Amino acid sequence: MSFNPPAEARRRVSWVIVVVVAVVAAAVGVGATAAYFEVYPPSSTPSGSSNVALTDDLGRQVSVSPNPARVVVLAPSIMDSMVRLGLRSHVVGVDCDNAFGGLSADYNASQITQWTLTSAMCVDIAPSLNAEDLLNKTPELMLASTLSPVGNLEEASITYHVPLVILAPSSVGGILVDVTLLGQLFSVTSTAAKLVALLEGALGLAQNVSTTLTNAGTVLPGVLLTYYASPEGSQSPGYFTYGPGTFGQSLIELASGASISAGAAIPYPELSGSQVLADNPQVIVYGTGFGLTLSTYQAGPSWGSLPAVMNGQAFAIDSNYITEADPSMILVGLPFLLHLLHPTLVPG
Amino acid sequence: MALVLFSPLVGSVAIPPVTVARIVAHQLTGGLFPANPCAPQPINSSACQALIEIVWDARLPAMVLAILVGAALAFAGGTLQGVFRNPLADPFLLGISAGATVGAALIFLLAIGTANANLLVPLFAFIGALATAGVILLAAQSRRATTETLLLTGVAMNSVLSATLLVLLIYNPLGNLQVTYWLLGGLYGATWGRDGIVFAGLAVGAVFLLLDARRLNVIQLGPEVAQSLGTDPRRSRDRLVLLASFVTAFAVAFAGIIGFVGLIAPHVARRLVGFDYRRVLPVAAAVGAAFLLLAHDLSQLVIPSTELPVGIFTAFVGTPFFIYLLYRRRPTSAEGTG
Repeated sequence: MSFNPPAEARRRVSWVIVVVVAVVAAAVGVGATAAYFEVYPPSSTPSGSSNVALTDDLGRQVSVSPNPARVVVLAPSIMDSMVRLGLRSHVVGVDCDNAFGGLSADYNASQITQWTLTSAMCVDIAPSLNAEDLLNKTPELMLASTLSPVGNLEEASITYHVPLVILAPSSVGGILVDVTLLGQLFSVTSTAAKLVALLEGALGLAQNVSTTLTNAGTVLPGVLLTYYASPEGSQSPGYFTYGPGTFGQSLIELASGASISAGAAIPYPELSGSQVLADNPQVIVYGTGFGLTLSTYQAGPSWGSLPAVMNGQAFAIDSNYITEADPSMILVGLPFLLHLLHPTLVPG
Repeated sequence: MALVLFSPLVGSVAIPPVTVARIVAHQLTGGLFPANPCAPQPINSSACQALIEIVWDARLPAMVLAILVGAALAFAGGTLQGVFRNPLADPFLLGISAGATVGAALIFLLAIGTANANLLVPLFAFIGALATAGVILLAAQSRRATTETLLLTGVAMNSVLSATLLVLLIYNPLGNLQVTYWLLGGLYGATWGRDGIVFAGLAVGAVFLLLDARRLNVIQLGPEVAQSLGTDPRRSRDRLVLLASFVTAFAVAFAGIIGFVGLIAPHVARRLVGFDYRRVLPVAAAVGAAFLLLAHDLSQLVIPSTELPVGIFTAFVGTPFFIYLLYRRRPTSAEGTG
């Protein structure tokens, strides 16, 4: 091994190599960057005067061939809308997680049966969208929510030339907007209008209950709506619930309840057992399904000491109705909550 | 070479090897030969187009990314093992991984630019990685700074950045899963564009590192001897660390945190070609590329139709080797003579 400094000529050759490589690498980098940051044209499908131009929930302008026959749906909430609009036959792929049970990671048994979902429809989305699963379905359209990484979906949309529409309502009213949008997209506007009317009816009922309670000067019942309990003895035992800006919080307000976590600093706070005891909700509603049962919450801190539990005012609700922003949340979840909180006004 | 031939065959969609080969030839010849890559299978044109996209736009870019990232991590690991004269040094020694994770987590957890996350995550991860390395190197400019204090500064940066990450996770626990998967590393969403960017960064960094390999050899002799031979050990150390961080930042930005590649590959290279870093670095790059490609293939085979984080497999293979290193350590040139 020689430690003599390189000769002058070898030093010049070295620098020539550096310059050449740097230029080539820069050229590759610029070219690759241009491809990577390619601005996809507004119409991701062959342009046609009959294309449907729409703005999705993230403000993205998307142009789609009308009434696409092969659609991949990447969120159970969207699947709920598609089925209610009679569009099940258009769905060729749905989201799943093969590392955690495939379809059953995202859909419960009832949904899998009623919606006739099969493993062949699986498009793995965890930890990232499986491009092969997607491409193998030869989709004309992807419908997704923000539960999947949007950037990942957008990149797949651009790379594989599949239009992407993001349906991610930020409020209960947004669910109605999305139903209307799907109606336009699949040319079923009258069916969508009927579904919207049903949704408005359910919301109207909730408004009537609220008006009645307000006129009567009734104090709204305190509510803990929890979707998971971390057991006593764990590192951080407590009840995960919904704070400001969440659908869970909106549901409680629509059902004329007073959420004990309405003033939380973060959207999904965890309340300790002592916090729940101090806030003393009159009603506790806990989400079940996907492995969560009553025993999950019974293992939570101070569960047996909570007055609502001791008074028999702790009720189970299918987690889908409080986590999925879809028509079922309004048509099933909301009336259920109304009945729990105001049984005399809303008989079961 | 065998892995390069095998990798395009691995995926959640079963495609016959002959079809894969025909698709690659079809794409390389601009669609000229063979004209119908899916023949003689009786499938329609849209299904054939789907297979072409699967092989050419999904599998091959992931394979190339595995090669590039593996090579980059091995380059960086070999360089740092030489700079610090410690066989246990790896590319994430100076808190680079923590800085990159915080950068990526800002996008995941604060939902910054959600729709452009695939552009912003690599960018923020790259900035986070380089910023961390920059802070440590700035601290190293102090006249009292030694190699040991450089290492300890990296440990301290790791701690404060990990605490920052925990604060971000508390703010949005629903983003935990994305951050966790990023920490485990993966080659998801590989595209030719991403490959090009990583290639450009690796090419520039690798050339400068190879040109400085002679200085790495000199550093092994100790600071006094290096000084007497005309090599400024501190400036060489800082330059080499910066180059290694630069290459690592490119790898981490597009593949997350993938451990053990940068630790193991240089050791295998030294066993194959000795302790001359002019040979160790390129051989380590080849070993690192092969190792990560193997781990990538395994990550797709364990659970059918799903791709597990590749960092899990590099850890499963790397941990036994790491333990072997600890108990079979013998004096090496990398450790110097004290």
